[in-house]
Amino acid sequence: MSSQRANQLIEAGLWLRLSGDAQGAQRLFERALELDSTNTRAREYLAAAAGAPSRGAATPFERPPELEPSLGRLAPTDADLPVSPALEGDWGAWAEGQGGPSEAGGKSPPAPVVLREALDGAPADVLELLARDVVIEFDEPVIQTKGDTDEYGIPEGHTQEFGLPVAESELDLLLRGAEDLLELDDHSGAVDLLFKAKGLAPSDIRVESLRARSERMLMARLESKLGDLGRVPAVRLQPDDIIWLNLDHRAGFVLAQIDGSVSYEDLFSLSGMTRLDTARILVQLIDEGVISAG
Amino acid sequence: MAEPEPLIGIDLGTTNSIVATVQDGQPVVIKNRTGQGLTPSVVAMAKNGKRLVGSIAKRQAITNPQETVYAAKRLIGRKFSSHEVQDSLRALSYEVVAGQHDDLRIRMGGKDLSVPEISAMILQELKADAEAHFGRPVSKAVITVPAYFNDAQRQATKDAGRIAGLDVLRIINEPTAAALAYGFGRTVNGRVAVLDLGGGTFDVSVLDISQGVFDVVGTGGDTYLGGEDWDNRIIEWLVFGFAKEHGIDLRKDRMALQRLKDAAEKAKVELSSVRETGLNLPFICTPPGGGAALHLQATLSRDKLDDLTSDLAERVVGLTTEVLGEAGVRASELKEVILVGGMSRMPKIVEAVRGYFRREPCKGVHPDEVVALGAAIQAHALVQPEHELLLLDVTPQSLGVAIAGGSVRRLIPKNTTVPTSATEVFATSKDFQRVVKIMVLQGEHDLAHQNELLGEFVLTGLREAPRGQVEIDVTFDINAEGIVSVHAKDRETGLRQSITVTASSGLTEEELQRIMDEQRGYLIAARASEELKTRRVELDSLARDVVDALTRARLLPGGGGLAPDVMPRAEQVLEHARAVRAGEDVAALGRACELLTGCLAQLKGPAPGGTGR
Repeated sequence: MSSQRANQLIEAGLWLRLSGDAQGAQRLFERALELDSTNTRAREYLAAAAGAPSRGAATPFERPPELEPSLGRLAPTDADLPVSPALEGDWGAWAEGQGGPSEAGGKSPPAPVVLREALDGAPADVLELLARDVVIEFDEPVIQTKGDTDEYGIPEGHTQEFGLPVAESELDLLLRGAEDLLELDDHSGAVDLLFKAKGLAPSDIRVESLRARSERMLMARLESKLGDLGRVPAVRLQPDDIIWLNLDHRAGFVLAQIDGSVSYEDLFSLSGMTRLDTARILVQLIDEGVISAG
Repeated sequence: MAEPEPLIGIDLGTTNSIVATVQDGQPVVIKNRTGQGLTPSVVAMAKNGKRLVGSIAKRQAITNPQETVYAAKRLIGRKFSSHEVQDSLRALSYEVVAGQHDDLRIRMGGKDLSVPEISAMILQELKADAEAHFGRPVSKAVITVPAYFNDAQRQATKDAGRIAGLDVLRIINEPTAAALAYGFGRTVNGRVAVLDLGGGTFDVSVLDISQGVFDVVGTGGDTYLGGEDWDNRIIEWLVFGFAKEHGIDLRKDRMALQRLKDAAEKAKVELSSVRETGLNLPFICTPPGGGAALHLQATLSRDKLDDLTSDLAERVVGLTTEVLGEAGVRASELKEVILVGGMSRMPKIVEAVRGYFRREPCKGVHPDEVVALGAAIQAHALVQPEHELLLLDVTPQSLGVAIAGGSVRRLIPKNTTVPTSATEVFATSKDFQRVVKIMVLQGEHDLAHQNELLGEFVLTGLREAPRGQVEIDVTFDINAEGIVSVHAKDRETGLRQSITVTASSGLTEEELQRIMDEQRGYLIAARASEELKTRRVELDSLARDVVDALTRARLLPGGGGLAPDVMPRAEQVLEHARAVRAGEDVAALGRACELLTGCLAQLKGPAPGGTGR
């Protein structure tokens, strides 16, 4: 059972990693390894995470090497996230059916989550694929001795484990992942998972109550990071430096409102976004050294 | 000796409002709590349920359009069925519904609010700014209104003042206030034109100043022409350029549009003092297919802006010509031309006015402040009887009755000082007429239906006689409070009938009292909410310190010499604090803070190494 639970945690961790919460993912991989110390995937993901440079440590004052700002998202993109060397070409490579690099010992690398649609020659942009309403299967990692996996032959709507409909097991998986994250005090990761769970089951009471709880806790945490909400934040960078940041238009809007006269509380009011989204953007701007707390 | 109560003058504008006072004999503007002289006349209910007033409300106007009320002055004191209101409805982003007395209500935050309530929120903000400036309560004010405002609009403005907790000493005309600020009450006898180009309206007034009496001889303009039109031209130019470069229409994105609006206004203001300005809006939008957010960078010159808005400047001149024509005044007859309003800072406007009048207009350094300064001067004069500039309360528009043929017989002409009384004899217009209907009208138009109907009543039981033989005395009385009483008396029989007309904003006295009670409740709740917020911040800070101290103590061998119950007790207190924080009990939060402070002292108590205290 613990091995199965560990695998579920790994899948949830991958969700988190995709949504940009590398730390949350790392915690889940750690938990998976605690439950099943022989789990190769958990070990590899963790090793990769530990080897990757910390994004938070990067100084915002340094100009990025490329002149064009990359993907307009506040959250780290998939390319920025720590990736196991064994999973180079994770998502993209596998989705295109090219297979992963072979490992010494003749074993295939552990199979990552695979997007079924992508196998049909669809574009390799995973984020784009995720943006669509795609049913994603979370499979047990299969150690292969031959080329490809054969789980694609399973009839749609069933998992190989319980014979349950995909959507249901996916929802349970997300809920369990969220519960684990809440236990680990990772409310940000939990909120992300529950957001996805809500997409699958909008009226599920368990999702709603967990979401409300995790959002409340996350909001309290973000607010405590911001400190006194009556304080007035200030932009630390020059306009010429700002344009090199990796922000999306929502963060750009919040940043544009910070003019040395509006308080955090005012920013919540005038952002036009939810309090949680605004707080997340503000904390991220502080963490990245774009604004000073006031 | 106790200091006299501070007095303020308020320019309650369509787009911006301003408060001023007289200090050491000099009129000065009171800056708001964000350090600005101007407070946008915008009120909003933010998505988080917080009431916003002023620049904060303005800055979220586009991202939260249905809950943001602007330009309420265009609606104040008007009837819902009036064509002015019906015309306005098409352009408003917020919802307006009919009230019980053909007045109108604005839907905001799930409530239907009267227009005076909305204006009162702005006045409350200005009052609070003044109180912060003086450091004590302020309750007495003079408020300005456009010269064309009728009694209902003036009364509604007064009601707004009452709701805001102000004792409105007097309502004065904006052009009169501007002329007062320039000192023309003392130095000029003759005709003066006041051109007020603000953020949303353009008012032209011609005043006849004589021995300190300011008579408005002509007024007009356009209630939909102002600085916002100049901003919109800049926005259009920016949107077009961006669409050409990136194929994206920024107007479809509310966040982008809000930023464009803010940037356009800023650029317009800057171009009044420099010849060229840069517009820099990083991360303005993310392309529809995803990818890196795009930046908008542009340079706008004064010449380009003049080119984009040349027709607007022409309209200013055209409307001025119209008003002067209607008042029968030639430009050359004017003693002075006064430019008022933020837009009169624009060199192009000054040039256009100079070209039309063939003279240099009077324009102060802060043309947007002069109306408030004039109001402050008048407020000051009201408490100093020796002052020469005491304006008398006058009737803003003529009062009369409808007569046969659908025309008006004026009994009290406009600008008559109150209290006043006038009687005129009327006769029946039909043979054997037994009943006469007295319709009390206000306005300057010769046709009865073009004037405001203040009230009507019927005098019955007249003697049957050929037309013209029954005479009726009609008497108008206006008392010092501006309350109009009209009496009609059959001269022969002595039969009498009367009506008392109190200018109404559409709100009854009961409604006003209820609203004032609600406002008091709101202010109390707002203060409690502030206290709650402060307590929570304090609690968070203390809880963080306790958690840090607890963590340190756990790492030390033997708990750093702490008594065995200190750490479990701290955990309990933290848990209690967490539970209390979720509630709204300020007293409980205070107690939790005290408990945390006690824990912190205990956790920090022992000396390092656990050697005791």
